[in-house]
Amino acid sequence: MRLLVIEDDPLLLHSLSEGLREEQYAVDTAADGTEGLAKATDSNYDAIVLDGMLPGFDGWELLLRLRREKSTPVLMLTARDAVPDRIRGLDAGADDYLTKPFDFEELLARLRALIRRSSGTGSNLLELGEIVVDTAARLVMRDGDMVPLTPREYGLVEYLALHRGSVVSRTELYEHLFDENDDTLSNLLDVHVSNVRKKLGPSFISTRRGHGYSIE
Amino acid sequence: MKNIFQSVRWRLLLWYSLILLGLITGLCLLAYRLASNDRTAQIDREIRNFQGTFFRSLFASRPLPKKDVPPTLDEIRERLRNPGDVSSFPPELHALFEGGTGGNYLACWDSDGSPLFISANAPEGLARPVLTKDNETQYVSRDNYREHHRTNPSGVSSIIGREISEEQGDLLRFSLLLALGGGAVWLAGLGGGWWLAGRALKPIDTIGRTASRIAAGNLDERIEIANTDNELDRLGRVLNDTFDRLSTAIERQKRFTADASHELRTPVTIILSETQRALKREREPEQYREILGTCRTAAERMRALVESLLVLARQDLPANDSRHVPCDLAEIANGVADLLQPLADEHSTTIARELAPSPINGDSHSLAMVVQNLLSNSLIHPPAGGVVKLKTFASSEGYALEVSDNGPGIAAEHLPRLFDRFYRADSSRNQTNGHSGLGLAIAKTIVEAHGGKIEVTSAPDAGTVFRVIFPRPQ
Repeated sequence: MRLLVIEDDPLLLHSLSEGLREEQYAVDTAADGTEGLAKATDSNYDAIVLDGMLPGFDGWELLLRLRREKSTPVLMLTARDAVPDRIRGLDAGADDYLTKPFDFEELLARLRALIRRSSGTGSNLLELGEIVVDTAARLVMRDGDMVPLTPREYGLVEYLALHRGSVVSRTELYEHLFDENDDTLSNLLDVHVSNVRKKLGPSFISTRRGHGYSIE
Repeated sequence: MKNIFQSVRWRLLLWYSLILLGLITGLCLLAYRLASNDRTAQIDREIRNFQGTFFRSLFASRPLPKKDVPPTLDEIRERLRNPGDVSSFPPELHALFEGGTGGNYLACWDSDGSPLFISANAPEGLARPVLTKDNETQYVSRDNYREHHRTNPSGVSSIIGREISEEQGDLLRFSLLLALGGGAVWLAGLGGGWWLAGRALKPIDTIGRTASRIAAGNLDERIEIANTDNELDRLGRVLNDTFDRLSTAIERQKRFTADASHELRTPVTIILSETQRALKREREPEQYREILGTCRTAAERMRALVESLLVLARQDLPANDSRHVPCDLAEIANGVADLLQPLADEHSTTIARELAPSPINGDSHSLAMVVQNLLSNSLIHPPAGGVVKLKTFASSEGYALEVSDNGPGIAAEHLPRLFDRFYRADSSRNQTNGHSGLGLAIAKTIVEAHGGKIEVTSAPDAGTVFRVIFPRPQ
């Protein structure tokens, strides 16, 4: 899952992006409204964490402009907790709202919920026959036994599971599994896919040549 | 009931009704008295006329021999004892001899007390008048009779009287009418008073209701004022002015609190987020060190903010002149410039000092803070390599401190709000340099606590000048 964090305070930006990366998200960062909007419109993020007070133009303005082009889930993060500010944010197109100071675990849970909702899934548990993906615990189970996966492998399985039944292109996978700083070697994805097949069965991920991958 | 008498309208009405009652009663009593006096005077006149008619008639039918001489006392006595035939008297005097009630009656007594003449219609028990002095006449009201008592020097006394129950009845009816009329006027007056009091108090009621709505938190509401200049409109205007000032103060306070909490939220978020991240898993010592460093920076930022807030809170207290002592602005500025020289070196900026002695009264610690805030702003914000002028000099209004740079200037739109708390012209919240957005607000508050004023002029590409003017010591 790939996230964009837009926050003007360098310390908080660093803390948030590091924390999210440790949770195996691919994280891009932006420190002002202009840069944030450019990144948010250029790439397809799974969710955006947006601070309300930004230099350039503020979070609400950014949301209004972003919503003309994209419906990426947005979680607003602001120090203003007055009801009118919250209403303004939600009306501008924010999907959720979190007031500073917040609990990092709550931020994670809300992000999971946002991503889950945007992919049309209601539960943390994705059941794919004998294989179950727990998006809250970030685990994959097979017949009740945990299958050890690397964070990248887990991200691949989770993304395909969330888009179950549809073919996901290699570009899309690259976009959602790697952040802007990752060196995206073209065969890196193939390595991850083959490792997952070794661990979860050769037919778990099917290849559509020229189109991409899918989980049935 | 207690509420009724606490109501201004009711109390006004009560006083008004008492005064009105007094006035009407007085007026009615006066009218009654006048009518009664008038009536009595008329009766007395009638009694005198009757007396004249009687005595003339006594001698008219049987004239005395000496016509031109007034009758002697003995002749009068004689005639009274023997008035003669009834028919020789005019008809209005017949009742004197024929009896009956009503009309005038007459009685005369000799000096020894023996009756000379007592008319047939005289009331029972009519006694000889007892007068203290001779040759005295007096009118007496007795029950429903009005009498003229008279004694002449020879001792002959007389009573000429008249029954006045009819007149008394008239007066009684008149007084009843007066009472009824007075009562009606009083009630009508009360109604009018109630209406007037209500009308006069209505604007106060409106003001009261508006004020209580404002007190309940609806700070934008104002008292409606008609375009006249009466007392209540003036009161309304005074109250509206007060509400304006209050609501501005409350708004400022609210914004300040919101801003302060906003400024504190970010460092708290950083500390929370970093510590939670750190505790989630085992890490290398290097990573812990980095996280602790971030937390320390956030905590230092909070400390700076809290210190600034405390300074502001102290300055906002009522003026405390006891700490104000004579000091030299130039000396203070010089000290601060020395202190900030390393910062100037860091930005390769030159501090040009032109410090003329400027003796003022003040708290040197606070004044140093003003100079420090202004000077460090001028050192940090313009691009490196400039020159910052630090001047103190005597001006027409007092002593001035001037800090000017040759940087790119501040955009005109920011100037009016530059001294607002938490206002940042560059709106970037890059706070790593420890600036809380309170420096200029603190400077302004301190300067104003010293009775001075602070102003800024800035033009694009022409630099910015901050000027502080302190009054001359008294």
